[in-house]
Amino acid sequence: MSRTDSAAPPEANPQVRPPRRGGDGPLGFVWSSVVMGWRWLVRMRTALYLLGLLGLETLIATVVPQEPNVAATVDAWRTGAEGPGTLVSGLIDLVGGYDVYGSPAFLALLLLLFLSLTACLIPRIRAWVRLVRYSRPPLTRSAGRQEVVARLTTSRGVDEAHRAAADLLRANRWRVRTETDAGEDGVVESGPPPQVAAEKGLWSREGGSLLFHLSFYVLLAAIVFGQLLSFEGQRAVVEGERFADTPVSYWTYGPGRWWGEDSHRGWILDLEQFHVDWVRDPLAPGAGQPTLFRSDVEVTRPDGSTRQTVIEGNRPLVVDGMKIHQLDWGYAPLVQVEVDGELVYEDYLTATATDAGHFRAAVKAPSADPDLGMSVFFYPYAPDNEAGEPVPTGAPFADAPLVLFQLFRGDLQLGRTPQTINELDTSALESAGGAWLREGAEVDMGDGVVVRFVELRRWVGFQVSARPQIPYLLLASGMLLAGLWPALYAFRRRLWVVAERDPGSGHTIVTVAGRAFQRPQAFDDEHAAFVTRLARHLDATPSDADDPDRILEPVSEEME
Amino acid sequence: MSQDQLADLSRLLYSPVTLLLYVSAAIVCLYSLTTRAAVLTRKGRPAGQFLLRVGLALSWTAVAAHVTHEVVRGLAQSRLPLGNMFEFTSLMALAGAVAGLVYLTIVRKRPELVGFVMLGAAVVVSSAMLTYADPGPLMPILDTWWRSFHVSVIVIAAGIFTVGFLFNGLHLLRDTAEQGLADARASARTGGVTAASGSGDSRGGLATLTAEGEVSGRVMPDEDHVGAAGPVEAERGAMRAAISPLRLAVGTFLGTSTVSWVFIATPTTTMREGITRALTVNLTLVAVALIARWFVPFLPQAATLDGLAYRTIALAFFAWTFGVIAGAMWAEQSWGRFWGWDPKETASFLTWIAYAAYLHARATRGTRGRGAAWIGIGAFAVLMFTYYAVNLVFVGLHSYAGLS
Repeated sequence: MSRTDSAAPPEANPQVRPPRRGGDGPLGFVWSSVVMGWRWLVRMRTALYLLGLLGLETLIATVVPQEPNVAATVDAWRTGAEGPGTLVSGLIDLVGGYDVYGSPAFLALLLLLFLSLTACLIPRIRAWVRLVRYSRPPLTRSAGRQEVVARLTTSRGVDEAHRAAADLLRANRWRVRTETDAGEDGVVESGPPPQVAAEKGLWSREGGSLLFHLSFYVLLAAIVFGQLLSFEGQRAVVEGERFADTPVSYWTYGPGRWWGEDSHRGWILDLEQFHVDWVRDPLAPGAGQPTLFRSDVEVTRPDGSTRQTVIEGNRPLVVDGMKIHQLDWGYAPLVQVEVDGELVYEDYLTATATDAGHFRAAVKAPSADPDLGMSVFFYPYAPDNEAGEPVPTGAPFADAPLVLFQLFRGDLQLGRTPQTINELDTSALESAGGAWLREGAEVDMGDGVVVRFVELRRWVGFQVSARPQIPYLLLASGMLLAGLWPALYAFRRRLWVVAERDPGSGHTIVTVAGRAFQRPQAFDDEHAAFVTRLARHLDATPSDADDPDRILEPVSEEME
Repeated sequence: MSQDQLADLSRLLYSPVTLLLYVSAAIVCLYSLTTRAAVLTRKGRPAGQFLLRVGLALSWTAVAAHVTHEVVRGLAQSRLPLGNMFEFTSLMALAGAVAGLVYLTIVRKRPELVGFVMLGAAVVVSSAMLTYADPGPLMPILDTWWRSFHVSVIVIAAGIFTVGFLFNGLHLLRDTAEQGLADARASARTGGVTAASGSGDSRGGLATLTAEGEVSGRVMPDEDHVGAAGPVEAERGAMRAAISPLRLAVGTFLGTSTVSWVFIATPTTTMREGITRALTVNLTLVAVALIARWFVPFLPQAATLDGLAYRTIALAFFAWTFGVIAGAMWAEQSWGRFWGWDPKETASFLTWIAYAAYLHARATRGTRGRGAAWIGIGAFAVLMFTYYAVNLVFVGLHSYAGLS
């Protein structure tokens, strides 16, 4: 490599910038663009901008309802029934604000963030590995000029002082380097004097930061593979009934792409009883709040072994690696409908709670001619008044259950319009009157229709999930926290111990100098403690620490 | 004692007792800060020393009263007092007060700053009264060890973040004041021409001081000139003058409004009540900012405050990360999914990003110092948004404010 001659004119010297690798053609342009883009990505400022963008996206996701969570609210916002109106709604849709975390913009941002992270980390990891493998504590030329200095005077020899200091430092897990061959008399014309140099916190701080940032890759991998391998399904079960872990028995079925039908374990769950209770005293604090949700279940494994157990809100049941959660519950009145003496409907309704305190369900009997539908309101507590009429209340406990319904005939439009199990599409139906029923009673609606409310049970909504990614998520969290602590709290500092013979008194003067790259306060204490310990080992006395050489530099509080 | 009596006692302990103790601790500590700077006793010690000791004693008493309140409230409802917004805010104030006290008196040995922490604690304690709820039982879904763990870690982190915000704000004020003082000195040095335009005595005082104690354009008059009573007063004036009270007041009002609109938007309160609450919060913080402005000359240098802010926020960031992870673990136990982008989860992630941005900004050349401090202030606004807006306005699985 040719040297630069600073005395020569610029033209005579070699070019500072090496020639472009891709030449000057279109390929060269592409190459230089890539290089520039990479340099842009490596900058910390870019990472800050990207973090800001991520924050903005997250803010939108916080303020705007998200389609995967609350699809109904999003529909209401889109139609203008709720929210800021259709114009704003259209704008939100334009930027993908209703599904931020599924939008292409978010994916692009995530990609950029990880690219930037990678671009930052590769040189840092290389530098760190080099540091760990090759670095040695640097020597000091004049210990007296360091930021923190203390001096001791002892009658012990120079070598003994160095040895004692090195032993003490090693015992405290400092990385120690001893230089003793700088000359017999300890004074060398050029070059550092004999000394013990030590360093600490060099790997841990940067290493912690690297571990913290590397945990994001583990996190990302766990989330991506989790999406592919996981399974989640829901199913409502009425007391006394059962369901098996087979693909067809779930009401909502959400398998990952790599979840096959044979991945199901095939256990059977019997719901024996569901317990629910509330604070019933209307004057007690928290009146009406629920106090108990518990399902008594029996699980039958494929090998035939059975187990009695309970599932509670915070205590899911784990069967063969699948978690069974109790998500929601409701009342399940058994309703029979006869048309002209023929049973057209008999089932437990899964009535779901409404904000008003009552429960809603629907009866759909397409086997009647014409179709028969019922919109059902269930009131758990509707006591009689003096006239013997039921008075519906919003209380949730089933002390005086009442079924209120409206009967419809016509076309249910099953399979043609979107409707949930508890919703009736009344657009092609005609009302045929309404009535109320107590448990065990029946009512004749005319036209040969008889409705019976046979008995009352409860149903529980179970969620079954298999998430093989959880151990890896925990691993990522562990890495994150394990890295974060040293990244924030480890600090890098250096110590030098220089022992010199004082020709005047014949004593040995030991200078303990130090420099902290972060957290100078913590280092001051550490330095003082070390000086005290060293003095005890050497039977030394502190001498005047103020040295004319010492430069008083203002140290800023934090240097990271 | 019956549960009702315990409930009454806990309320009494909270509203007049703890609050008053915090307020008086703040007053005594802050007053001692003004005296210790310049005045010396006959024995040659700074005069504020005794007062400061009284203030610290008051501070610890306030914390003790607060802890007693938490214990009594817990007894009154036979559960940990971590069930609704009032209880969260109360614990947040307690966590901030304890963290600030321990850090300033034991770790960093800067007890003179305790007054600001006590002032902050008093504000947070009184803000909890906005969401007061009587003791009561807990929903069973919330009644788990996991919840107590997750919530207490998050709330403690929020308390420490509040202390960090306090230092951030003081840092910005002090930094502006130091720049203003440096400018004033520079203009005083450039000659008597400008001196004629200013008020005579203060200019004269400044001119005598320009020669000494200046390090790279920044100054720390109180630390350099302890005991030199005379001209220091002029410097104090110059430092305060660097911060326009009008701009500070309007800025604080607008900044607070980014969060306090939540009280107006809360569906469960009337418009009138909401406006009253929002205005109360805004004006209280404006008053606090103006008080802090007056104390600017007595503060340690901006770099010290910056370091204090960084240290506290770093600790709170660790706690927050831990709390969010614990929350995900609880969600997996309780709801059957570890993360669902529920508004609260999203917002806590947003807070995490904001504080991560602060930490990164602080490590970046160019955004260090004031830039990072502003990001820290913004991050605290995000934290408060997460806390108030998501609890009160946006509907999600975390709607547990306990208000009706």
